[in-house]
Parts: sequence; C-alpha cells; structure tokens
Amino acid sequence: MSNAKAKPLGLVFFPAFDWAISPTHPEREERLLFTRDQVLEEGLLDLPQIREYKPRLASIADLERVHIGVPDIASLITDAHRVSAGGAITAAESVLRGETAKAFALVRPPGHHAMRVVHGTRGFCTVNIEAVMIESLRRKYGLRRVAIVDTDVHHGDGTQDIYYHDPDTLFISFHQDGRTLYPGSGFPNEAGSPAALMSTVNIPLPPGTTDQGLHAVLDELVLPMLADFQPDLIVNSAGQDNHYSDPLANMAVTAQGYARLAEKLRADVAVLEGGYSIEDALPYVNVGIILAMAGLDYRRVLEPDLDRAPVQSAATTAYIGKLIADWQGKWANREQLRRSALAAAGNSWKRERDIYYDDSQIMEHQRESIHYCPHCPGYMAISTESSGSRTGDKSAFAVVLQQESCLVCRERGKDALIKAKRQRDHQYFVLQDKKEDSCGRI
Amino acid sequence: MLVGIDVGGTYTDAVLLDAGKVIRQIKVASEHGQVLASILTALDEILQGIETQCIERVALSTTLVTNAIVQGKLDPVGLFIMPGPGADWRGRLAAEPLVLSGYVDHRGRERQEIALDEVKQTCKKMAGVKLFAVSGKFAVRNPAQEQKVAGILAAAMQPLHIACGSTVSGNLNFIRRTNSAYYNAAVWQRFQDFADAAAAALAERGVQAPILILKADGGTLPLAKARELPVESIFTGPAASVLGVMGLCPPAKPAVSLDIGGTTTDIALWKGGAPLMDAKGAAINGYLTAVRTFRLHSIGLGGDSWLRRDGDRLLIGPERKGSAMALGGAEPTVTDALIVAGLSDFGDRGLAEAAIQRLVFPGKSLQETAQVIIDQAAEIVANAVREMLAIEAAAPVYKVEDIVRPELLRPELLIGVGGGAAGLTPLIAEKFKLAWQVPPLAMVANALGAALARPTLHISLRADTAAGEYTVPELSLRLPLNDRRYSIQQAVKQAALHLQEMAAAAGITADEIETTFGEEFNLVRGFSTVGKIVHVGVQIKPGIIAGLIDAAATGGAGT
Repeated sequence: MSNAKAKPLGLVFFPAFDWAISPTHPEREERLLFTRDQVLEEGLLDLPQIREYKPRLASIADLERVHIGVPDIASLITDAHRVSAGGAITAAESVLRGETAKAFALVRPPGHHAMRVVHGTRGFCTVNIEAVMIESLRRKYGLRRVAIVDTDVHHGDGTQDIYYHDPDTLFISFHQDGRTLYPGSGFPNEAGSPAALMSTVNIPLPPGTTDQGLHAVLDELVLPMLADFQPDLIVNSAGQDNHYSDPLANMAVTAQGYARLAEKLRADVAVLEGGYSIEDALPYVNVGIILAMAGLDYRRVLEPDLDRAPVQSAATTAYIGKLIADWQGKWANREQLRRSALAAAGNSWKRERDIYYDDSQIMEHQRESIHYCPHCPGYMAISTESSGSRTGDKSAFAVVLQQESCLVCRERGKDALIKAKRQRDHQYFVLQDKKEDSCGRI
Repeated sequence: MLVGIDVGGTYTDAVLLDAGKVIRQIKVASEHGQVLASILTALDEILQGIETQCIERVALSTTLVTNAIVQGKLDPVGLFIMPGPGADWRGRLAAEPLVLSGYVDHRGRERQEIALDEVKQTCKKMAGVKLFAVSGKFAVRNPAQEQKVAGILAAAMQPLHIACGSTVSGNLNFIRRTNSAYYNAAVWQRFQDFADAAAAALAERGVQAPILILKADGGTLPLAKARELPVESIFTGPAASVLGVMGLCPPAKPAVSLDIGGTTTDIALWKGGAPLMDAKGAAINGYLTAVRTFRLHSIGLGGDSWLRRDGDRLLIGPERKGSAMALGGAEPTVTDALIVAGLSDFGDRGLAEAAIQRLVFPGKSLQETAQVIIDQAAEIVANAVREMLAIEAAAPVYKVEDIVRPELLRPELLIGVGGGAAGLTPLIAEKFKLAWQVPPLAMVANALGAALARPTLHISLRADTAAGEYTVPELSLRLPLNDRRYSIQQAVKQAALHLQEMAAAAGITADEIETTFGEEFNLVRGFSTVGKIVHVGVQIKPGIIAGLIDAAATGGAGT
C-alpha cells in the first residue's frame, strides 16, 4: 500500500471554547484547551495524513430524526449542541464522500447519555450526536448496518435506548460496572428488545481494569462480534475516561491502550464522548487516537506520569475472563435467543422506566410499547411524563413509524396517536415518521 | 528621502520618495546570484545626482535568504532537539538533529531534566561547528531547558550563533519552530556577510541613513536586529507588494489584491484595512517553518506566461519562456495578447500581432483570439481567488459564536498591482462583478512597499496564575506572577511594556501597539477555580510609515 496515495484522516476539532454547562462543571470551556495545545505543538494539523474540517451546524430536522423533545428539541438545546452534532456529521460525510479514509470528530458537548425522548440534560448530554450522525447518514447515503462501539467509561445508555429495538444497529458498550458508576446501567441482561435481541451488548468491567483487560475484551469479544455482524459502518463513541487519571471514574487505561484500541477497531468514524482528566490524559489520549487513526506511529505518545498507572489485579483478570466466556456463549446462540424472545413476546412488547436527568434535576417516567407485525418492523408508542423541570411538569405521547412500517402499521400508529389525543391524558402529541423524515406535534 | 529596493529573481525595482511623492522609479535586470550587486546597480542609478545626506532610510527586500535555502547554500548547523514523548518528528525536520533527553509538558512543567553529560558528550562530536540551533517541545511554555543547552554550547563551542526555537517563534508547533531555528542558524553567516558588505557599500557612497530589512510579514527590522533573525527575511517580494498596496490604495472595505507579475500572480485578502496573515508560518524547500507571512496564494500566471496550443486547447503558463514577443521575446505571452486586445500599450504592436497570429483559432480574428486568451487568463486568476475565498470560509474555528455567526469575507474591491495588472484586473473584476482599482505606480508597488514598510516586532505573553508565573518566550522570560485575577487587559499591558523594551533595544519606536490575539480560561480542579490561563499576543502594528500624497490621483478604477 502506498502511503503517499492513502487517504487522510478527517479531523473535526471543535473545542467550543465559549461554551460550558456551568462555570465549574467538568463540561466547560477549558476541557479541550490542553488537547489543542498538544495537537498544535506536535504539528499534527500540518501532516498530509490529517485533514481538518470545519463543523457544520446540524439542523433541528437532523436532531428530530432521532429525538422527541418535550416540549420540543429546539427549546432544550444550545447552539453548541448543533455544532457538535453537525461536527460528527461533517466528519462522517468526509468518509462517505471518499475524501478521507476515516474521521475523528473531536467535539464537545458529548451525547451518548441522551435518549430518544429528551426532557433535559443528563450525564452532560442533551442530544445524541452519534445517533444524529448515523440517522443523517442512513437518510443521505442509504447505509443500513451500523455498529457502534462505545469505549467511554460510562455506559452509553442514551445510545442503547435509541437503538434498543433496531436489529440493524449493533451497540457494544464496555464501561466501568454500573454498580460502581453513573449511570448505573449497562448490565449484560440489557441486550435489546425481542426483535433486536443481542444487538445490544453490554460488557461491565470492574474498577481497576487496565489496557490488558480492555484489549482482552476487544480481541476476544468485540472484534469477533464486529466480524460476524459485518457492518457497513463502524462508529466509535470515543470517551477517554477509562484513563487512570480520570477524576470521575476508577479505571486504569493508558494513552497507549486507547491508541492501540483505535488502531485495532478501525472505526470509520470516532466521536469524542467523555474524558475529564483534561490535563493529564486528554492531550495524550487524543494525540494517540489521532495518530493511530491516521496510520502514523503513536508508540512514543506517553503520559509523563505513566509510572503511576496501576497494574491489573489477578482477580480482575479472572473476572474479565469469565465475562468474556459468558458473552461468547450467548453470542454463539444469538439467533436462537432472539427467536425464542420474539415467540414469547407475541404481538407486542412493553417496558416501563424512570429516567433521571442529573444535570437538569428532572425525573421522567416512560412507558414504551413495540407493536410487532409479520410484514414490517411495526410501530412504537411512547408515553412520557416528567417532573422537576423549572418550566413545569410535562407529558407527551409519541408514535414512531419506521422507514419500512407497512401501510397497516402506519394507520394503526396514527390511530393510536389520535386516540391518545382524544383522551387528553398528555400535553403534547408527537408523530415521528421516519419514512416522511418528519417529526412534529399533531 | 526614502529608498526602497526589491531584488526579485528577474528584476530589481527601486523607488525614491521625497515628501510623500515618488520622484524616481527604476527597474533593472537582476544580476543572477548577485543580490548585493543588483542592489548597488539599482541604488547607483536611482541616486544619480542626489545628495546622499538627504537619504533618511534605505529599505531592502531581497531574495538572499530564500535563495540560500532553496539552493541549499547552508552552513553546517548543530541542531539539538528535546522532543520528549509524542508524535514522530522524523522526516519533518530540515536537518538531522541530535536528540537530547529532557522535556517540559504543555503547562511548561519540567517532566524530565536535561542530562548535562549527554549534552557535553554530543558537543565533542561537533568539533569545528560554529552555528547551533536548540529546540525543545513546549519550550514556548518554559524556555529554561533550551537556555540551559544554549549555555553549555556557548561555554564549550565558541559559537558564532545559537538560535533557540522559542525565541524565533512564540507559537506552538515544535516542528515549525525547530525548522525556523535551524534555518536561522544555517543562513546566519551568509546574512552577516551580506549585511557587512551592504553597510560598507552604502558608507562608501556616503549614505549615512539606517538600513532596514524587510520581513516576510511585511514589517522591517533595522539591520542590527535583522542580523539576529535572518530567517525572517524569506519571501519578502510578495510581502513588499502587499505593503505597496497599503501605501498606494489601502482598501477601506473587504478586498482582494493581486500582484500580477511576469511569472506569477500573488493573491492576498484584506479585512478591516489590513491583509490577512498566515497564522502558522511559511513553508520553504518542502519544510514548514514558523516564519510569519501574509496569507498569500500564488499561481503560475503572469504577463510573461507562455501561450501555446494543444490541439483545440489553449494553454497558458505556468512556464515562462522569456519576455513578451512585443519586447523581443521568442514565444507568445499573455502580454502580447493584452497588446493586441488594446489593453496594454507598450512594445512593438506588430510583433505582438505576429505572436497572437501563431495561435489564431479557426474562424476567429486576431482580435477575437486575443480576447479568448485574456478571458481564459482572467478565469485562471478568478478561479484561484474563488478557491482562496472558499478556503478562508472553510477555515476551522473553535468557538460556537464563530460557527453560528461567521464573519464571512465578502470582498467589495479588487486591487491590481504589478506589471500585468493594468490589462487583467478589470477583466477579473468583471467575473466577480466587483469594483476594481489599479493604482498609479502599480508597476513598482513592491519597491514602494519596501520603502514605506514600518519596523515591526511581535511577542506573546502567557500567564498561568495557578502556577504563579508568566512567560514571554520571544524574550526567554519566565517571571513570577502573584495575581489570581490577572486579566487579558493586564496581560496586554504587561506584554506591551516588554515589547516597548524590546523595541527600544532594537532602535525601533513602538508607538502603535495592537493585540493580535487574546484568550482566557479558568483553571478548575475538582469543582473550584484554582487560577487562570491568559494568553495574549501584541505587535507593533504593521503598515506604512507615511502615506503617499495623491496616491490615487491617476491610474485606473472602475466598477
């Protein structure tokens, strides 16, 4: 392979130097300052193997292709969210247009805790920038099978929620065990609703997991799963808070561990998520990931305090080994498991949950029902109520029609919405119609 | 009286100004490889009959350093680097470096000390070398390690010159600073020889006036200061022309300026009355440097561009085969087409017609053919302008505000200078439906720019209140700071004081100081603010020392 002719890495660097959730919040102006300094000092933006792109602004329609905002998405976001979602789209489009080999959206604010229904901000996220990117690509480039590998230390519960019923999206998240960290979810039994069972893969790792444990999971589980799934596109939700110096988590991964992960994963698009060791980790992890994705030598990217990175305990190694073995068994049986779950579900499947928005202090109660159809993916209905918002309690009833929902299901979904409106149990009634690419109140 | 001389590859231009008026202008062929001889030929001609004691200043723009680098006429340099951990620098430096242990991090904290023995050992391998460059990653955050290595070299090697990366540029970019420092050392002796000879030759002619050297960023430096920073005098020809535009017709509105020369056209963009700068630095010989320049886009099209047919297609440039046939050249040129079309009026019209006759398209007259040619030439330039504007619009920005409310550059005026400007500028303007202007003296805008260019200096100051210090890398300063609430305004004031001291030492008046950038970040640890990072740049405002009287009285303009 000739290096001179190889396509570059597309880089959207958007540090949002004028945006913060609040002045001392971890998601604030200075978060990528030291990363910028390191990237500039290393002269990375001068390399022919790296091409920088200016992010575009995502439109409200781009966001509503994924989200149902209550009362609407526009009133819940800031301009920064449109830039970071737009930055992810810009990065991915550079790949799909054939200008770049891969792309990295090094943007903020992050998005992987934002779910389909949005009442406010949770886990520093308001809109799910990866999902907005993926749905934009599906619309414009006709992609079907997408794999998302979430390497943030926190469970990507928002992305999981959005793709929980979608068998065409494989969502793999490894993260610090939810019993020890926000958001407290991401256990192996959360594996997708019946029609999409085993397209959600959660790998909760014990605190203290190092490069060794992370790469065991990658080599023995994640990479073989990707090979089996054969996605049209691989997306990496590239959180950097598994680093040993991260102040909000307890893992022990290094910049080298992250860079090697990026090299092995060969994601088409990586999108920055969390990572709050802004001085001791992010400059090195980001440079490592950029170099690895650009096919350049990253072996000399080392943190100055690397000698304080912990060593993985034997107990942790053994625990991870068992976790891998359990998943390998389930994965081998995935077709069978899905068939039996669908058979058990019958015509519909329901779940009911409480969802907490830590940044907005909002509590949401949500009921979802999936209505199956022998001819199509069916339709989905969602009832949501929230309390605690400064603008008052809110409720909405929404129906989601899929791109391939059949005419009968489209009518049934619309009827369900009209019926709900007549009952006046909710304030807002929303139809998200993926075939018409529209989302709006009726 | 002011003298400005621009030595280019083909021609040397000189102007003599008195009381805001150009009283003499000349153009002579450059003597190949003889920069000083070219200067003296031009000087002797322009000073004929002038009392030399009337000369107040002589400003020179030369290809001396550019040519030395491009032609590899470089002295051996001991290049020491402290790259620390990070990206691979191999293949990106203009010379093979000697790698030392020790490094500082992005906050300027020393994370590994310099190994003194290692430096001394390496010195032993460098017997006879008298020129050195020292560059450390993040040395702009803390120049101490560079200083330490330089100190050892100064004591052990009797060096002629040691260039440090952090003093040649205060910007982040280890690769560019290292290359700048290396080239500064590699051309140092050649520049000293030139400076000595130029000073002696002027003294011989009785010229007592100070000599100034033009820099790539359009400022000048007094000769004594320029001797320290010879690398800054690369690519001054295009910079001189941009300065010339500033002297001849400074645009009040957003504008595009074109310097249409014999072989190339250099395009510059103007905003707020000033040309846009290249934030990163110039590339030379395939290597990137931190030398500040105007943001210029250069294309291979000029008055002397060679015209020929390839089947039905007309090809224009980028080669130059000599001057226009109208002026005795052997091959048809753009200038010949301009003469035939009646847009230029010099040389032998008959010879120009003969030139275009060679290219005549079937069914088209000589006139029509000339029109097709110049339209195609104008389109080439117009495309380059469009490309440059598109790149400007797509330049990454790092704030939400700049994405949501972008400050797009929408030019309202096209300015042409240089030999080919009069004929082509109106045609290019027509393609954008823009007003245009070709000032009088457009032919010698470069020499005029040199004559009028203001002396400039720039420095940056970065305060880290949590660490309790501030750094001015260009001056190798790292000083304590005990003010937690230090503001951008205070930093600018402090930086201006340092700049004034630096200017005074260099013999430059620093009356108009401007801020080039300013940023301020709170440093938060846990959930409390522990300090601030304040980073500012200040410079003596580049520009011209005095305007021209009746500059726009004649010349051409239109809409």
